[in-house]
Amino acid sequence: MAVTDPETRTPYGGARKGEPGKTFDEIWQQPRGLRYWSAVSHQAVGKRFIVTGFCFFLIAGVLALLVRTQLIVPGNTFLDSETYNQVFTMHGTLMMFLFAIPILGGFAVYLIPMMLGARDLIFPRLGAFGYWCYLFGGIILMSSFLFDAAPDGGWFMYTPLSSNEYSPGAGPDFWLIGITFAEIASVATAVELIAAILCARAPGMSLTKMPIFAWYILIFAFMIAVGFPPLIIGSILLEAQRLLGLPFYDAALGGDPLLWQHLFWLFGHPEVYIIFLPAAGMVATMLPTFVGKPLFGYGFVVAAVISMGFISFGLWAHHMFATGLPILSLTLFSAASTMVAVPTGVQIFSFIATLAEARPRLTVPMHFILGFLFIFVLGGLTGVMLASVPFNLQAHDSYFVVAHLHYVLIGGMVFPLFGAFYYWAPLFTGRMMSEVLGRWVFWLMFTGFNLTFLLMHLTGMRGMPRRIATYPEGIGWDRLNLLSTLGSYILAAGVLLFVVDFIRHRRVGPHAGRNPWGAATLEWLYPLPNPNFNFHAIPAVRSREPLWDQPELTDRRAERIDGVLRGTADSRRETISCDPITGEPIQIARLPHPTWTPFFAALGLAVAFGALLASFYWISLAGLCFSVLVFLLWAWEPSDAGVLRPDGMGRTLPVDLADRRSHTHVVVVGLLLVLFALHASLIFGGLYLWNVVPDFAELTVRPLGLPLILAAGAALAMAVAGTVARRWALSERIGASGAMSGLTALLAAGTTAALGWAILPVSPFDTALGAVIWATVTFVAVLSAAAVLWGLFNLARDLTGATRPGQARHAFNLATYAKGLAAMALATAGLLLAFALTGGA
Amino acid sequence: MERGRDILALVAPGLVWAVHFVLIYALISAACAQRALIGMGTVWIAGLILTVLGVVLALWPLRLSNAESVRRALLWSSGIFAAAIVADGAFVLLFQTCGG
Repeated sequence: MAVTDPETRTPYGGARKGEPGKTFDEIWQQPRGLRYWSAVSHQAVGKRFIVTGFCFFLIAGVLALLVRTQLIVPGNTFLDSETYNQVFTMHGTLMMFLFAIPILGGFAVYLIPMMLGARDLIFPRLGAFGYWCYLFGGIILMSSFLFDAAPDGGWFMYTPLSSNEYSPGAGPDFWLIGITFAEIASVATAVELIAAILCARAPGMSLTKMPIFAWYILIFAFMIAVGFPPLIIGSILLEAQRLLGLPFYDAALGGDPLLWQHLFWLFGHPEVYIIFLPAAGMVATMLPTFVGKPLFGYGFVVAAVISMGFISFGLWAHHMFATGLPILSLTLFSAASTMVAVPTGVQIFSFIATLAEARPRLTVPMHFILGFLFIFVLGGLTGVMLASVPFNLQAHDSYFVVAHLHYVLIGGMVFPLFGAFYYWAPLFTGRMMSEVLGRWVFWLMFTGFNLTFLLMHLTGMRGMPRRIATYPEGIGWDRLNLLSTLGSYILAAGVLLFVVDFIRHRRVGPHAGRNPWGAATLEWLYPLPNPNFNFHAIPAVRSREPLWDQPELTDRRAERIDGVLRGTADSRRETISCDPITGEPIQIARLPHPTWTPFFAALGLAVAFGALLASFYWISLAGLCFSVLVFLLWAWEPSDAGVLRPDGMGRTLPVDLADRRSHTHVVVVGLLLVLFALHASLIFGGLYLWNVVPDFAELTVRPLGLPLILAAGAALAMAVAGTVARRWALSERIGASGAMSGLTALLAAGTTAALGWAILPVSPFDTALGAVIWATVTFVAVLSAAAVLWGLFNLARDLTGATRPGQARHAFNLATYAKGLAAMALATAGLLLAFALTGGA
Repeated sequence: MERGRDILALVAPGLVWAVHFVLIYALISAACAQRALIGMGTVWIAGLILTVLGVVLALWPLRLSNAESVRRALLWSSGIFAAAIVADGAFVLLFQTCGG
């Protein structure tokens, strides 16, 4: 049923971006040739993430081999010290930032819609944009080799080593800019995954009926949204120190190098769990398949994953036990570090209990699962040892820590990942990888890994420090290093054989057919490889193991299975969108067709970031403006909202609903979560410096009180105006809503102006606290600028007739954003006012 | 079928732990950093109150939800976080000075 347009008295087409004349299959077909790169579907984007991530893994692996070759004998001159520093820095950086998170995100992007019963991710362009940011960020970082400026300060880029004084070259700039850019990708992907999991599931798939993998990815995504912002802020502050001379970490002006460590490890430690969780989710998904029984203790595991997500944020300072923090602080972090073993243990026991339910089939993925259990448990145990402050002080910066972290990361992530490749390869290619070669891959990797890293525990206990380019002979490290290096070659041979097997299977691997492993989850519903649209009709789900418990899904050809949204009503790509809790359908979500906008938006940002490196600031500004322009064009497209369509199962659903439960609103809330975390990182920085370096805090000139009160008032008024704009948009008073959106923009600008006025007396160059105050207000100003753009954008849409009755999403979501921005502006003004009232210089 | 309240009950103990952790960290920072805003007596009393309150609030969601589908997860979530709150708070109560 179509809603009538009140102006023209004709029914809306509801498909102003559709492709009439094309069949359902054609609408979902991936573009070919050069246009393939305009594809935004989750299958294309997920594969790109996976392939690119694996390439970075191979590069980082070669760098690791260079490190091990240098250390094979004492006094080796294979690499000079400077090159060695660059090699181990880039090894860690690539592995942590450009391999681990992106490739796991790629698997999530690829698998989640299929597992949850969606035709695509709910924001395909956001995923594509994230991918291009990731690729360009990686290219920026890797290009440092071309300029002989590869960073050499370690993957943690500690200050003051990374400051201009001690690293005058461009190495840290490549690191800071490249990584910050790549992190945008991770955050974008995380927000998209949150929205996709909460808003796009098959009818009936409530949260407690979700596949366990989706729970793992949901927590993984939330952790990225909260965990990455401290590093993004820390990196921006460090780059600002290097480029502009702002003294955030400069002890001579009241800064503190430990502030960098706090911000870095606020990201860095949760990062370990961010890496572990999706991999554990893969194990929790694969294991029941080979045991033939559901996962033991689904509820335990969900509780453990949630617990781990929280507690892992209380561990950051256990990387700082040797920095002179108060012992009372150390005990707090030691306690949290020990406590995180509990949810980890719950998951491991759940896996073991699942194994005990029946005799597992010893396939190649199962080998990797067993390898994961063996290696990760050992890594976890040494982790508990390192959580103890006295032991940690002894083992600090030794090869014992290197051994521990590789046991956790390779055992906890790489082994499940390789198992996942063998398990899900048929989805990508329609063919099975080799069981024989796969076993060789496993045993080479398992043997090589343990030979390399088990011995490193001993090397560390014998006192060998990390990051040294060579060592003298005869102090008990020679043979251990020799064996570790040989082990690394064996491990590399396993990886090489895997690459050979993967390339080989694409041509000669046996066809997989339908559900080759006898799995229980929806991604195996169709004969492989899956169609581009995932489902002809999206089936109702009543079980966590639908392919085991719902015979109507397996007793007929996949395209004949009953479900919602069979075919397409308006020649558009679309999927069903659900209530986040119950999984009941609430709307039909229209999805974008292939488009270049994400590519160009990311390209503009790449130019902006790249030009910054070369100090071409005007080009940088031009790139940024180009990117904003592309975003505006992206958002300006005609809306399909305001019509009702049958879902094919007897219900009629609205298209692109404006509602708190809709995906666009959920993504705004997810975005606000990221912004709150960014803002909180700045507030933490300010409070930290105020508390730890009080002498310089007292020297900092106080902001003006009156403008801060005005800023608070403007922020409150902005939130009210945004809310009124939403209400009027919902009641179809389009012109009035537009005017109120314009007022929201005006008040956002007013808030920024008042905050800026308040801090005019404060110099950002005199003290670190002054610099943080400026950074915080600048952050609020940037968010306000976005609100100004958004408000004017809504006004323009409403004035030009681009908004029709029933199309209230732009105003609806602006209201939520305005409230979030007002909260941050109020917090900033409140804290600055408190600081102003304490007197001082 | 679970409702929003059931899912909130599942996540609430984690939020309580997070708030407790931040407050305990703030207490320690206020007492042990150079500014020394408060004394150890204040840390001890506030830490005790926060920890008792935290444990009660972490277990409170058990009363909020009876949904069978989330019951097991809720029990474990509340239990783990209550234990974590005790572990975080215990050291504040056991130590007499910032140095141990």
